[in-house]
Amino acid sequence: MEYLLHLLILVGIYVMLSQSLNLSAGFGGMISLAHAGFYGVGAYTAALLAVSYQTPFLLALPVAMLLSGLLALIVSAIALRTIDDYFIICTLGIQVIVFSLMNNWMSLTKGPLGIPGIPSISLFGVAIASKWAFLLLTLFFVALIFFFLKKLTGSSFGRTLRALSEDEIFAQSLGKNVYLSKVVAFTVGAMLAAVPGALYAHYISYIDPTSFTVDESIFILSIVIIGGMRNLWGSVLAATFLVFLPEVLRFVGMPNAIAANMRQIIYGGVLIYAMFRYSRGFSV
Amino acid sequence: MLQLVYNINISGITYLLITISFTTIYYPTKFFHIAHAITLTFSAYFTYLFAKQLYFPLYLSIPLAIISTTAVGMLSEIALYKPLRKRNASPMILMIASLGLYTVLQNVISMLWGDDTKSVRTGEIKVGNEFFGVYITDIQIITIAVCLALFAACVVFMKYSRIGRNIRAVASNPELSNIVGIPSDRVILWAFGIGSALAAVAGILIAFDTDMTPTMGFNWLLYGVVAMIIGGVGSNWGLVGGALLLATAQHLSAYYIGSQWMDAVAYIILILFLIAKPLGFSGKRLKKSEL
Repeated sequence: MEYLLHLLILVGIYVMLSQSLNLSAGFGGMISLAHAGFYGVGAYTAALLAVSYQTPFLLALPVAMLLSGLLALIVSAIALRTIDDYFIICTLGIQVIVFSLMNNWMSLTKGPLGIPGIPSISLFGVAIASKWAFLLLTLFFVALIFFFLKKLTGSSFGRTLRALSEDEIFAQSLGKNVYLSKVVAFTVGAMLAAVPGALYAHYISYIDPTSFTVDESIFILSIVIIGGMRNLWGSVLAATFLVFLPEVLRFVGMPNAIAANMRQIIYGGVLIYAMFRYSRGFSV
Repeated sequence: MLQLVYNINISGITYLLITISFTTIYYPTKFFHIAHAITLTFSAYFTYLFAKQLYFPLYLSIPLAIISTTAVGMLSEIALYKPLRKRNASPMILMIASLGLYTVLQNVISMLWGDDTKSVRTGEIKVGNEFFGVYITDIQIITIAVCLALFAACVVFMKYSRIGRNIRAVASNPELSNIVGIPSDRVILWAFGIGSALAAVAGILIAFDTDMTPTMGFNWLLYGVVAMIIGGVGSNWGLVGGALLLATAQHLSAYYIGSQWMDAVAYIILILFLIAKPLGFSGKRLKKSEL
């Protein structure tokens, strides 16, 4: 039962990650491989604030979001001069830079040693120590982000994003500020990615750079693509499927080491299959 | 100091071979073949398979490894990219499919050979030969010779051979090439074959120099991509400049700040180039539009 709760919490974290990426990649048409970087910035900010300054979670969370958003703002202002495949290469570069900062800035992040002993969250004097309580907290944030994205993408801003992801020049000719809308969407997506980062840090209580690699970025992008671009419920289903997949493989008798590889092979395969389905473009 | 200059050159020359192999494929197809990283890795592991697990002599296992790796590269074109191109997939779709292929193949390697470091080096590690106060290992001498020879061969091949000229024709306009009787699909298959074979050589050289892990190809490929973006597609001397510039920047930063920042420096250069030349090297369109 404990283990099931653990998996459900992970599902919640990946639902938040994929939905926040869905805002920029799905609605905004900016496919990014830097999402694990923003996730990591959120996790590290929350962890360092909690360990070094005993900052309460409700204060650390907005700080983590702001830092991640600030980074995304700078990054997107540069990277959004390019589009499509060049944009992906750019974000890949940013991912590697963020990872190497986490891995090598010894005085701040302790590098590969990671940050141990992150305290559990306490809200208004009540410690969220049990898995049940943490699951409820995760679900609360999942619901909050889902609701926020639903509202945002349904608004006129969401319609602008959808229009520009299909035809930028046409959107611009209607008087929409294309560049600004893209920067805003990318930044908001990165800010939202900091929330699961902070939750993850407090939940696992130990973080190191290996949780925030390029592979993780590819994994989050796979969730979005498999679940369907611009499909928030699809992201929920795909995240659930991919988190439970190795457990299912283990259940049918696959050894531990192979199950992990097998999961990646399966989602890589599904990614290729999805590209055949989407081969005429994501907007169709 | 001389050692530093030498280190810059040896990295630069390896980057040059990788960027040439990548550009050969990128030039006619115009998409980022991320799974090229796995071509590098596969050639190292095939060498390991033939030389260490099947006990073939080295002069036999290296050609076998190059042939099998080339086959992997050409198969990916036949089985994956060609059908996608037939469905009018954009370069971005091809790139994501390639990312999926990379994930699949990298885990196949992990599953078959394990995640730990494997070595094909024979004998004890030697200090290296000394020339004018600079230490050079035997394998580095071979690397320099092979890379320069392959680069020269590639330049001549692309310029004067029939296939090379066809590749350039398809690169400039696939439809027009088809009309004048150059089959673009077959030319692209050739490009995949040549590019994969060059990458296989690079992968084997890297494996002899620094051993192998299933994820080794990715960083090397990205250096190649950065060198290509700096240097520009279609200009061989541009690629030389790009590879050397990247190697110089990385080694100077390793010398003055620390070698752990080499990856970050490569990308900072990439991003600086994108700021300075926001259109990219090829003047690619910036906006999505349906014209």
